[in-house]
Amino acid sequence: MADPAETMAQQITERVVDLVVSALDINALAARVELNALLGRIDLDALLGRADINAVLTKVDVNALLDRLDINALLEQMDINVLLEQVDINVLLSRMDVSALLERVDVNDLVRRVDIEAVVQNTDLGAVIATSTGGVASDVLDAARSQAVGLDQFVDRWVRRLLRRKEPGPDVPPALLPPPAAATPAEAAP
Amino acid sequence: MSVGASPADMVTYQSHYAGAVTRFAAYAIDVAVSTVAFSLGLAGISYGVQIVTGHQVHWNKSDALVAALFVVWQFVYFAYSWAVSGRTPGMALLGIRVVRADGTTLDPPHAMLRALVFPLNILLFGLPFLLILVQRERRGLADLIASTAVIYSWDARAARLRFLARQAELTAGDALPSGPDAATYPKS
Repeated sequence: MADPAETMAQQITERVVDLVVSALDINALAARVELNALLGRIDLDALLGRADINAVLTKVDVNALLDRLDINALLEQMDINVLLEQVDINVLLSRMDVSALLERVDVNDLVRRVDIEAVVQNTDLGAVIATSTGGVASDVLDAARSQAVGLDQFVDRWVRRLLRRKEPGPDVPPALLPPPAAATPAEAAP
Repeated sequence: MSVGASPADMVTYQSHYAGAVTRFAAYAIDVAVSTVAFSLGLAGISYGVQIVTGHQVHWNKSDALVAALFVVWQFVYFAYSWAVSGRTPGMALLGIRVVRADGTTLDPPHAMLRALVFPLNILLFGLPFLLILVQRERRGLADLIASTAVIYSWDARAARLRFLARQAELTAGDALPSGPDAATYPKS
């Protein structure tokens, strides 16, 4: 059993502390504290040396953190030109695996997109073709064939008129019909 | 009036049913080629016989043997050409080809059947040729019997590129200056 005098002293002390705390204006006290001086006395390195950063990071939910980030706002604040000026393209290219990159490129699709006719017309490739594949024989053949096809169409038009045929017949045998064009991603999208 | 197809049209007409003019022109070339080849063949045989036996052989057009040989030669000429590549030399020149009615490659049996019934065009005074004009798929009598069709089949894309190359060459030629300085003008 505790001494009655000691109990009374403890009660008085608690009462005094309550009175002092209630009388204190914490905000005023905080305003009088020189934070910079306080922070200057703290050894951050020692503090960080004692902290287990890995343990802290394992507790962080990175996905939740990223969800809260507004990447667009972040990018808007960035000056890409400044960033690009610091990039050494040569170093970047030396690190690239060009073979792996080319393996991912659909060369056939790339070639399909090239306007060969424009290339022939606008570059020296036209002259190369003219001199390598040309010749009087091929020119004569091309001309004769195109004339014959033109005459075929001419005769066909007149026959259709004479027979008063409104609908032309099929152009191509069934097996030689061109395959239906593949749907573009935009068309395929719902 | 120009009736020649433009190079762009030539590409789009690929695999279309060939028209009467092209087919008749090809046939005319084939008749000329096969007749010349037949005559050369007979001349070769005469020469060979003369060397071996010392006797001269004279071929008469009205001779039944010559007529029979000519008919057989014509059959071989057309049947072999169609069976091997679907085209005779005349058809190759005009850029057309015989295919099955559905567009698949012509097989030897149908090629021979077509060659067998082909003389009907002559025997019926060329009237079956008119079928090519009025039939919707431009198929003649031999085509209908042998279940075949004739289509345009030449490398029209290469022809178009050649045409464009020529145009580009001509345009470049026009751009070059004429006159005394022309000789020193760089051509590249």
